[in-house]
Amino acid sequence: MKLTPTQRVAALIPTASMADIAFLLIIFFMVTTGYEVDRTPVDLPESSQRTEAAKDAAVVVLARDPDTGALSYKFSDGVKRTSVVGGPEDIYLEASRLIYRDSTRQFVLKADGSVHFEKVDELLDRMRRGGVQNVLLLTQQRTVSGSAP
Amino acid sequence: MKLPRKVVRAEIPTAPMADIAFLLIIFFMVTAVFSATKGLEFKLPKEHQEPGSEQEEATFIRVNPDSSILVDCKPMQASDILEYLEPRLVRNPEKPVILYTDPYAPYQAMIAVYDVLASAETERGFRVKNISVPTQTEVQEYIVLFGLNPFESPCADSRQPER
Repeated sequence: MKLTPTQRVAALIPTASMADIAFLLIIFFMVTTGYEVDRTPVDLPESSQRTEAAKDAAVVVLARDPDTGALSYKFSDGVKRTSVVGGPEDIYLEASRLIYRDSTRQFVLKADGSVHFEKVDELLDRMRRGGVQNVLLLTQQRTVSGSAP
Repeated sequence: MKLPRKVVRAEIPTAPMADIAFLLIIFFMVTAVFSATKGLEFKLPKEHQEPGSEQEEATFIRVNPDSSILVDCKPMQASDILEYLEPRLVRNPEKPVILYTDPYAPYQAMIAVYDVLASAETERGFRVKNISVPTQTEVQEYIVLFGLNPFESPCADSRQPER
């Protein structure tokens, strides 16, 4: 008896749906990606309560060099990337300029948790003098292992 | 004689689409920064605002340079502050809380206390509405006016070393 030849099935990975999956992922990344005006690495203080900053919030950065301990100040109006400024007096001038245009503008203070409070206080004082009222103290989420002093 | 006509099928080449899509995914994955702009809301007082309360009416919290905390001159852990404040603020929700941080205390220590005050509503069901954080400029203005630092003197005795 002659057997009919077995039907050969070609081994194929179905790639037709790959493009669909890829485009779904692209849409996910496009929606969730936020454009940050500042990417300065700062050791932020921890808190359990956190609220989202306004989209157009101006950003004031007080960073500390981990090696030298030197402090640096940066400012962004919320649109352009942060740029280095001389110190609290420059922050005062920049803040005054922004508040003149929009008195309700939120300011995000991104300060290193290890700096002496007097430096933060100095910045807050200059911002207050510039007419700023709405400030968000940037923090990182307190983890379970983190403990309050 | 009839010549055979070659029929060209209209097709959009979709084969490289997946390659382009995956290239775009890699680009977004590399450049993606998930929004991390979250923190504690903080209201600065207006310039030349009249002080709203007498100092003796307020609860006074002092953060020392070693991050230790004094509440109305009593040493306290940050976790115990709400328990201390609850009966006072339930009786008078407008009672001010003055949070004075020593200039040489780490910023993290001030945030830890401020975070505890901000969490009162979720943790204990009452709000600390009136938090005042005096700046050093305000302290200097007090010193010029009254000749003493009102935020140093209330706890002067409690910070004396024990004999």
